[in-house]
Amino acid sequence: MRKTALFVAALVFVVSIGFAQAGQKYRIGGATYGLAGEYMKLWATALERHPAVQQGLVDLTIFDGRYDASVQQSQFETMSSQGYDAILFVPIDIEAGAAAVATAHAADVIVVGSNTRVNSDLLTAYIGSNDVVSGYMEAKAVIEKMGGKGNVVIIEGPIGQSAQIERLEGNLKAIAEYPEVNVLERRTANWSRAEALALMENWLTAHPGTIHGVIGQNDEMALGAVQAIKAAGLDVKDFAIAGIDGVSDAITAVKNGEMDLSILQDAVSQAQGAIDIALGYLIDGYEPMSDCWKDYPEMKWNGGKDKTYDVPWTPITKQNADEQWEKRQDLTAR
Amino acid sequence: MPDDASSMQESNKFRAILWELRIAIALVLICVYLSMATDHFLTTRNLINVLRQVSVNGLLSIGMTFIILTGGIDLSVGSMLAFGGVVTASFVSNAYKDVPSINPFHAICLGLLAGTVLGAVNGLVISKMRVTPFIMTLGMLSIARGMTYIYTNGMPITDLDKTFLQIGQGFFEPWGVRLLPWPVVIFLLAFAIAWVVLYRMKFGRYVYAVGGNARSARISGINVGFIIFMVYAISGFLCALAGVLLTARTSAGLPQAGVSYELDAIAAVVIGGTSMTGGKGPLIGTLLGVILIGVINSGLDQLSVSSYYQQVCKGLIIVGAVMLDYFQSDGER
Repeated sequence: MRKTALFVAALVFVVSIGFAQAGQKYRIGGATYGLAGEYMKLWATALERHPAVQQGLVDLTIFDGRYDASVQQSQFETMSSQGYDAILFVPIDIEAGAAAVATAHAADVIVVGSNTRVNSDLLTAYIGSNDVVSGYMEAKAVIEKMGGKGNVVIIEGPIGQSAQIERLEGNLKAIAEYPEVNVLERRTANWSRAEALALMENWLTAHPGTIHGVIGQNDEMALGAVQAIKAAGLDVKDFAIAGIDGVSDAITAVKNGEMDLSILQDAVSQAQGAIDIALGYLIDGYEPMSDCWKDYPEMKWNGGKDKTYDVPWTPITKQNADEQWEKRQDLTAR
Repeated sequence: MPDDASSMQESNKFRAILWELRIAIALVLICVYLSMATDHFLTTRNLINVLRQVSVNGLLSIGMTFIILTGGIDLSVGSMLAFGGVVTASFVSNAYKDVPSINPFHAICLGLLAGTVLGAVNGLVISKMRVTPFIMTLGMLSIARGMTYIYTNGMPITDLDKTFLQIGQGFFEPWGVRLLPWPVVIFLLAFAIAWVVLYRMKFGRYVYAVGGNARSARISGINVGFIIFMVYAISGFLCALAGVLLTARTSAGLPQAGVSYELDAIAAVVIGGTSMTGGKGPLIGTLLGVILIGVINSGLDQLSVSSYYQQVCKGLIIVGAVMLDYFQSDGER
């Protein structure tokens, strides 16, 4: 009996040394806040398409956080105890992920934030896009189409989420530059197309003929507003409408002239850049493999040791909508 | 003295009528207030808007009324709605490649079938295996939602057939007269059919009997299991129909559509005066409950009241309605 136990122990020891010496395979976890929306789905798909994953250098596991900070916390505990080398982390909220990061830090696991920042000094690095900038860009585009004056409505994300707070800051910054622009209404539709549809219908009733521009803090809600305008028998082209994220349906809407602008938040670069950064910490002298560094020359690799990497936004307008549509088809093909 | 007695009878009768009309009265009062507080509440266009906004919850609530009348509950309505919606969307989409694009009418039938099957599974398990409705439909809430994500791969299904979109965005125009939006027509039609089934057919009397007292219903020869099976299947069908309308209205099969819609459906039924223990309650009350919730949501939007207050308000109305019922039945005792 004892002999068997010894043998098993020895075997485990040898095998684990063998793994450690082989050393080339890194276990990386992609911790998403939830896989029910298109954006995180694209993010996860992009991770799977990263050259390091395709070549087998990285052993990747995607986790579905199910929109719950406590689910993400327990997934971090699992990854920490199972000896993951790095975690790519998209928290559900800016404040909610700090404890999870601390758990991983205590187990010496590298945590690279992606898409949404975490309020924690223990984050190894962060790659994402500045929401204030996108909020500013979309509001500016809407106002310019309105000729610099008139009434706008803002459809907000869930109040208190970092993307809502920062995009609103950008919205208001642009609006403040135009004294002749008036904010008629400002309310949340919780990122939801169906909610925004009802909200916009009610606004069109309350302010007939006086709404000139719609600032949707994401594309889904901007699309809901488009449907409401159509349902009211009005012409979408008489309104200036913009959204953020660059979801597939919004690209189509821009192509058809129903939306004036969507601002692409580059899920591919946020995801693939995060793998590169993590590998930069794990492998000495690692050179990044993802195309994102070539796509955005203004985003410098700097040896992979910067604290923050800022992925630029790409405005999708009628001019480049077709090209963006092709790119998206490639990513969503199953 | 006889004069007194008859006047007392009169006033009792008056109170009884007032009681019967309590939701309608509340609805009228709210509408009067909103038409004074806002400029455009009392316009045909706005009222049609409100009706269109409530048509989805309306369909769910009709099915929910049947189920609650039998003493059950259906927590899976939002998930069945999403599944019916994405199945239909997949068959009218040029972008979804796994299934062919077919005639919109056939696609809708497939979506309705999908919802009915899910509802029938609920009914079968509840009636044959004696799993409580709460547990079974809680399970189905998760199962159907998961199936929806698997089917769509978590992505919205877009690029839908233009003819199909008419059912959510178009108008019913008999002889060229623009009458009502299609979702409203479908909702009212479904309501009328449900009313006939419930009050003019044997099936309806059985539904009330099963909820009132399942044992005596069984003894008097009613096939209780079949009635229970049927009400869940009907709910599944109506959920899928609501999913079809929502899909056509938003121009996309959204996998996350209908999350927590069961709350509004149950709320409408309860506000309408249906007893959660079954056997008692008018279908017309559900209609009024549905419209009441819709009017409040839309009215608070137009008054620019924060959506936080909207939630508190809805909660107060639900509890208030049930409290009223309690005082009333107390008075009867």
